[in-house]
Amino acid sequence: MATSATHAGYAADNYLNHSRGLASWLFTLDHKRIGVMYLIGILTSFLVGGLLAMAIRAHLMAPDGALPLTNDQYNQVFTLHGAIMVFLFIIPSVPAALGNFLVPVMLGAKDVAFPRMNLGSFYLWCFGALFLVGALLSSGLDTGWTFYTPYSTTTDTSVVLATFGAFVLGFSSIFTGLNFIVTINTMRPPGMTWFRMPLFLWATYATSIIQVLATPVLGITLLLLIAERTMHIGIFDPEYNGDPVTYQHFFWFYSHPAVYIMILPGFGIISELISVHSHKGIFGYRFIAYSSIAIALLGFLVWGHHMFTSGMSNLTTIVFSALTFSVSIPSAIKVFNWLATMYKGSISLTTPMCYALSFLFLFTIGGLTGLFLGTLNTDLHLHDTYFIVSHFHYVMMGGTVVAFVGGLFHWWPKMFGRMYNEFWGRISAAIVFIGFNLTFFPQFILGSRGMPRRYATYDVEFQGLHQMSSIGAFLLGFGLLVAGLTLLHALFKGKLAPSNPWGGATLEWHCSSPPPHYNFAHAPVVGDPYEFDHIDYDRSIDGYVFTSPPREVLPKTPQAEPATAKDSHS
Amino acid sequence: MFGPFLSPLWGDVNDGLWFPQDASTFAGEVDSTFNMILWICIAFFIPIVIALAWFAIKYHQPKGGKATSRVRHNNVLEISWSVFPAFVLVIMFVRGSWGYLDQREPPTGAAEVNVQAFKWDWSMDYGNGIVSPELHAVVNQPTRLVMRSTDVIHSLYVPAFRIKRDVVPGRYNVIWFEATVASEKVSQAELDEALKDAEENHGGDFDPERYGFTRQGYTYFDLYCAEYCGRDHSQMQTVVVVHETQEDFEAWLAAANVKPEGMTDEEYGRQLYQTRGCQSCHSIDGTRLVGPSFAGLFGTTHALESGEQVTVDENYVRESILDPRAKIVAGYQAVMPSYKGQLTDEQINSLVAFIKSLNGD
Ligand code: HEC
Ligand SMILES: [Cu+2]
Ligand SMILES: [Cu+2]
Repeated sequence: MATSATHAGYAADNYLNHSRGLASWLFTLDHKRIGVMYLIGILTSFLVGGLLAMAIRAHLMAPDGALPLTNDQYNQVFTLHGAIMVFLFIIPSVPAALGNFLVPVMLGAKDVAFPRMNLGSFYLWCFGALFLVGALLSSGLDTGWTFYTPYSTTTDTSVVLATFGAFVLGFSSIFTGLNFIVTINTMRPPGMTWFRMPLFLWATYATSIIQVLATPVLGITLLLLIAERTMHIGIFDPEYNGDPVTYQHFFWFYSHPAVYIMILPGFGIISELISVHSHKGIFGYRFIAYSSIAIALLGFLVWGHHMFTSGMSNLTTIVFSALTFSVSIPSAIKVFNWLATMYKGSISLTTPMCYALSFLFLFTIGGLTGLFLGTLNTDLHLHDTYFIVSHFHYVMMGGTVVAFVGGLFHWWPKMFGRMYNEFWGRISAAIVFIGFNLTFFPQFILGSRGMPRRYATYDVEFQGLHQMSSIGAFLLGFGLLVAGLTLLHALFKGKLAPSNPWGGATLEWHCSSPPPHYNFAHAPVVGDPYEFDHIDYDRSIDGYVFTSPPREVLPKTPQAEPATAKDSHS
Repeated sequence: MFGPFLSPLWGDVNDGLWFPQDASTFAGEVDSTFNMILWICIAFFIPIVIALAWFAIKYHQPKGGKATSRVRHNNVLEISWSVFPAFVLVIMFVRGSWGYLDQREPPTGAAEVNVQAFKWDWSMDYGNGIVSPELHAVVNQPTRLVMRSTDVIHSLYVPAFRIKRDVVPGRYNVIWFEATVASEKVSQAELDEALKDAEENHGGDFDPERYGFTRQGYTYFDLYCAEYCGRDHSQMQTVVVVHETQEDFEAWLAAANVKPEGMTDEEYGRQLYQTRGCQSCHSIDGTRLVGPSFAGLFGTTHALESGEQVTVDENYVRESILDPRAKIVAGYQAVMPSYKGQLTDEQINSLVAFIKSLNGD
C-alpha cells in the first residue's frame, strides 16, 4: 500500500535521483521532471520581469523620471515587463509548472496522457522565450504587451520577432492544455468520478479548455499582424484600408479568456490550500466546480470590455457591459465558499495558509474594483488610467501570483522532499502582503484622479502617490526575495519532509516526498479528496498519517451522489 | 516619514480623495456612480475581511486539531449568495449604461471643434483656418469634438470632465462635453513674471504645468493622451481653457492665429516651433530626434531618400511643412504630419524665419 510504504518521509529512490546526468533531465518524459524544468524557466522569467518592474517603479519616483532612462527606454522596459510576465510567467506558471507535477499524481496516474507532447511543450516554451529575448537584444520592443496596431505595424522595434515568440508560446500552451484534457478525461482511476476530483483538477480542466479554444485565435491574430507588417495585407493598418479596432477585437478575444487562464488555476490552488489547512472539507464543492466551468465559458463573451472607449456601437458596448457583470458572480461565489470552508475548521496558520488568506483579501479587492470598470460611465473615466493597472495587478499578482507562491510553499515538500523554515515563510507572506497593498492601493487613487497609464513622466501633483507606490514595490520585491531564499534554503538545508506534512487528503499526499519515479507502486485507494476525519497528526514525524483506509479498496459502484455533495451534518 | 506622501491624499480637500476637480455636467453623475459602487464594495468587503480575520483567529488550532463542523453544503445559503449579488449588479449596470448613453449623444447646436491627434500633440481646428494646440470652449455651452488621427491610436482624456474617447486612424470618433467651471485669468503682473521666467530660464519654452496657467494667463484643465502611442506619449498633453463668455472666447479666437503685436517673425516662429509640435521631432541644438535637427539646416544641401539632392531654401522648408511626403530626407522616415490648412501663411513665414535664424552666428 502506498500509505504504508511511506511511513516517514524522504523516499530513497525518487524521481529526482532515479537517473542522473543532464541528458536524463533534458530528454526526460517524466511529468515531474518536466514540471521542475518548467518551474526553473518560469521563476527565471519572473525574476527578470520583476527586476524590470523595480526599474519602472524606481523611474517613477520623480515626475521627470528618476533613472537616466529616455522615454523610449522606459517604454521598452514596461513593454518587456508586461510581455515577460504575461507570456513567459503567469500563463504557464500554475498549469505548466505546478500542474505538470500535480495533475498525474492527484489522479493516481503514472504520467500525463502524452508525455512526449509534454516535453515538446516545454521546448516550445524555451524556443518562444528565445525569440522574446532575441527581440529584446536586437532592437527592443516598445508596443506594450498588447501590440496594438497601427503602432505595432509602424514602429521600428522588433515586433515580428517578439510576436513570433508569442505565437510559439501559444503552441506550448495549447499542448499543455490538450494534454491535461485528455489526461483528466481518460486517466482518472476507478472510483474517481468527476465530482470526486480535487478542485485543483477542475480548475486545471477549465483552464485547459480555454487554452485549447482561445489560443488559436491569438495565433491567427499574431500571424495576421506579422503579415500586415511585412506584406501590408490591409487588415489592421488604416493606411492600407485596415481597421485597428479589428485588431483589438481579435486580440481581446484571446486575451480576455487568457485572464482566466491566469486566474482559474489560482482558484484551484486556493481551494486546496484553504481546505487542507483548515482540515475541513471544502464548502460547496459543486458550486466551486461549476463556477470554474461557468467562468471558462462566460469568459469568451466579454472581450469587448477592453474597448469601451474605442468606438464600438452603443448597443454592443452596453451588451458587453452586461455580460461582464455576469462573469463576476461565479468569482464571488468562490470567495464565499472559501470563507465558509474556514468556518469551524481547525485552521493551521502555516505559510501556505498565510498566502491563501492574503489571496482572499487581495483577490476580493481585485474583483470588486472590476465593478467600477464594468460600469460604463465610470469606465469612461477610469479606462487606461492607473486604476486599471492597479485592478489587474490585484487580480493577477495579488490573485494568481500570491496563490502560486502559496502553492509552491504547499507542494514544495512534496516536490523536493524538504521542509522550509516556517518562520521565514510566514514573514515573507506578511511582507508581500504589506508591500503589495502599499504598491497598488495608491494606484487606484492615482487612476481615479486622472493619471493615465504607460506614462514615462507625469505631472507633479501625482508624485506623492507614485512615491508611495514605488516604496511599496521595493518592499514587495524584498518580500518575494525572502520567500525565494526560504525555499532555496530548504532545498539544501531543510529537514526531510514527511509524505503528508499538512494533512491533505488528495492522492499526492499518499505517495512519498518526493514521489518515486512511477508515482505509485499500486493504484492508490481513491477516497473523498476532502475527507479529513481519518488523517491524524503524528508528532514523531511532524506530519500526518492516514489512520484507517478512508474507504473500502474500490467502491463496487461509484456512489450516484458522492459524499462531497452530500449534506453531512445530520 | 509619510508626511510628504500623505499630503496629496488630503491635499485637495475640496475635491476629495478620489477625484480631480469636477468641471463638467458629466462629472457629478460619474462621481456619484463611483461612490455608489464604492459603498457597495465596502459593504461587501468589510464583512468578508472581518470573517476572514475572525475565522483565522477563532478557529486556529495547533497541529492535529479536528474541525468542529462537517457541514459542506447548504443549498439555501449557496443559492442566496449567488442570486443576491446579481440584483446589486443590475443597479450598477443600469446606472452606468444610462450615464454612458448621456455621454454618447451630443445635443444639437453644440459648438464643434475638429480635433486632430498626431505623435505627440494635438491640433484643434475651430474652423475658418483657426487652429491651435489648445482646446478652448465656453462655459455652460456644449462642445462637440470630432476627432481623427493621422498616425496611430491616441485617446483624448480630460479627467476634470470625466470624458475619454480613443482617436482611431481611419475613423471619426466623436465626444462631447459641457464645462461647468470657467478658467480664471491670472493678473497681468503674475503673467508677466511667468513669461519672463520662461524666457530667461527655459529658453522661451512656456510650460503651463510649471506655472499653473497658459501663455495667455488662463488657468486650465489637463488634457491627456490616454492610449499608448510611442515615445512621447506621456508628453502628449495640452490644456483645456473654458471661457467665461462667448465674447471672451471669440476674442481669443481672433488673436489665436495672428502674430502678437511687437513680436518679430523669428520670435513668433520660435513660439510656434514650441507650441505646434515641431519641438518633439526637431531639435535646435543639433541632436537627432525623429526628424533632422534645425540647427544649421538652412542653406545646406543634402540627399533625399529618392537619391536626389536638395538645397534647403525658403520654398523647400515651406514645402516640407505643407507636404512633408513630397521630399523625404535620406535616412529618415516619412512620419511628419502635414500642416496644410493648419498654419497660416504668416505662421509659415515665421517658422521659415525662425529656422533661418538658427544658422550659426
Ligand atoms: C512626428 C514628428 C515630426 C513633427 C511633429 C514635425 N516634423 Fe518635420 N520632419 C520630421 C521628419 C521625420 C522629417 C524627415 C523626413 C521628411 O523629410 O519627411 C522632417 C523633415 C522636416 C523638414 C525638412 C528637413 C530637412 O533636413 O530637409 C522641415 C523643414 C521640417 N520637418 C519642419 C517641421 C516643422 C516646421 C514642424 C512643426 C510645424 C515639423 N517639422 C513637425 C518629423 C516631424
Ligand atoms: Cu478582460
Ligand atoms: Cu498617447
